[in-house]
Amino acid sequence: MESTPENNDLTSSKNRQSGPVGSGVDPSAPMLLSLRDITKSFGAVQALQHVDLDIPAGQVTALIGDNGAGKSTLIKTVSGIWAPTSGSMYWQGQEVHVHTPRDASHLGIATVYQDLALCDNLDIVQNMYLGREDTKAGMLDEISMELATTKTLKDLSVSTVKSVRQLVGSLSGGQRQAVAVARAVMRESQLVILDEPTAALGVSQTAQVLDLIKTLSSRGIAVLVISHNLNDVFTVADRIAVMYLGTLVSHGPIANYDRNSAVEMITTGKSDRVAALASSN
Amino acid sequence: MSTVETPAASSNEAPPPSPLRRVASFAANQQFILFLVLVGVMVFFDFHNSRFFGTSEFTNLLVDFSEAVLIAGAEMYVISSGGIDLSVGSTIAVSTVVGAYAIQYLEGHHFGEFPSLLLGTFACAGVGAMVWVINALLITKARLVPFVATLVTLSMGEGLALVFSKGGTVGYDPAAAVWSSTGFWIFRWLTLMVLTVTVVLGLVLHFTRYGRYNFAIGSNPFAARAAGINVNRHVASVYVLSGVLAGLTGMIWYFNTSGGAPQNGIGNELEAIAAVVIGGVSLFGGSGRFTGIILGVAILTVVHDGLVFINIATTWNEVVVAGFIALAAVLQSMRPGTKRLM
Repeated sequence: MESTPENNDLTSSKNRQSGPVGSGVDPSAPMLLSLRDITKSFGAVQALQHVDLDIPAGQVTALIGDNGAGKSTLIKTVSGIWAPTSGSMYWQGQEVHVHTPRDASHLGIATVYQDLALCDNLDIVQNMYLGREDTKAGMLDEISMELATTKTLKDLSVSTVKSVRQLVGSLSGGQRQAVAVARAVMRESQLVILDEPTAALGVSQTAQVLDLIKTLSSRGIAVLVISHNLNDVFTVADRIAVMYLGTLVSHGPIANYDRNSAVEMITTGKSDRVAALASSN
Repeated sequence: MSTVETPAASSNEAPPPSPLRRVASFAANQQFILFLVLVGVMVFFDFHNSRFFGTSEFTNLLVDFSEAVLIAGAEMYVISSGGIDLSVGSTIAVSTVVGAYAIQYLEGHHFGEFPSLLLGTFACAGVGAMVWVINALLITKARLVPFVATLVTLSMGEGLALVFSKGGTVGYDPAAAVWSSTGFWIFRWLTLMVLTVTVVLGLVLHFTRYGRYNFAIGSNPFAARAAGINVNRHVASVYVLSGVLAGLTGMIWYFNTSGGAPQNGIGNELEAIAAVVIGGVSLFGGSGRFTGIILGVAILTVVHDGLVFINIATTWNEVVVAGFIALAAVLQSMRPGTKRLM
């Protein structure tokens, strides 16, 4: 994990702290998504304060933090559920404005929400294609959608689903998670955001979802995963970003963290161990 | 869609080799049960009175069917998108009265018979659309629950129909009556038009994006929005569609009764909802088959007309209908995965 890109990234993040905020992205390390000085307030409450975050392609970034730290607010901002109060977003080095979920999905950002945002009464194919159905002469092209769904599930090694015409309401938690992720993949998303993908899952289903996350990043897709489970985080993540009371207190390659320092960061917002590990790398 | 048998499908669970393969197996069963009930009821009536299977009675059945099927279709769209519509009946009343005035005026100004009737039909549809624009605004902008919003337009419609018509039938129109009784075999022209619209409604609901979004919104509006569907716009459009269909039904009443009476269609929203329930559509939204409500309307129509044939007073109609609703609701609650309150 001590390869050059990560070290580059660490230096660039140091530069950013010293330089003027919002001055742009370091051209030597173009990030898939960069957030600069993102602030989001709800009335008097500041849910996000001056958040800077870089998400590289093909890597798994874990977003961790205590309840109320602003993790969900951050991903909802990135995915267009609500617009940031101030700050800027860069997609592949270009400044972008994301105001609706459709904007985000046009960029290639797919978000898998905690409640999964699936329609229980629709089957797997219908859910996979929701909002962008294939049509032929105005009518839904069920055959091509069914074939593509089957292929995508096979590509992701999702083998537990019996029929792609099963209603999603009849699936297990792990299968639903797989359908939601497969939907993101089929839309050729470049960034997949997962909100607590393994909460409420059993041991073997958790393992399946973690495998799925690794498959995604091996296909060059960036993954941003929110998790409370540090076991999961240290199993799949390449990078860690820690939020504390609405601010992003630390982010970098996973080698800069260990379990204790991560817990320390989550609960107090700072850790001497992280600084020590970062300088030793 | 009889060609949906694909390699992909056959490699999965062995699907039944029927064109309705996409229908969940139990829903398919329920359609089949409904069909058996319909045939059973018709055979029962014919057994007691052999005139039931006559050409003239079938013509009447189709006329009654066409008075009910469009608003049941409208109700199906609304309910499967997660709403409910109480004001279809009163919209029929308003639109039939306004349409009658329009036709009276146009014919009085030498517009000719056919153009007047055509424009009158547009007037009816327009009134329906206006009522439902009010519904749509109350629901998507004022954020009223559909039950309350359509209760408002229900009362408003009933009241306005009486105000506009001053309590009596507007414009007796023998020309309309003559035209509406023409056709071929058991079909009147009007019936054929209604059946065409019905088929289109069914196709749109099950084979287009619009229909798919309808079910998605009824199933999980948050998911629909996250998938990029404009939920408010869709919901508003469903209520406007429902209004136009009720307006057209108002015109059908105008033809069938040769005039615009303010009591036309009053209370029909309950029949429409009954047909939807009998058709196996979930009142929670998100599921149902259009063929179900067609069968539901057919069963209600046959029962309504058939009671006369076996010498039972039509006043018993509601009681018999209640029995069918109860039966259908019980069937539905036995369906796997049904939400239960207790």
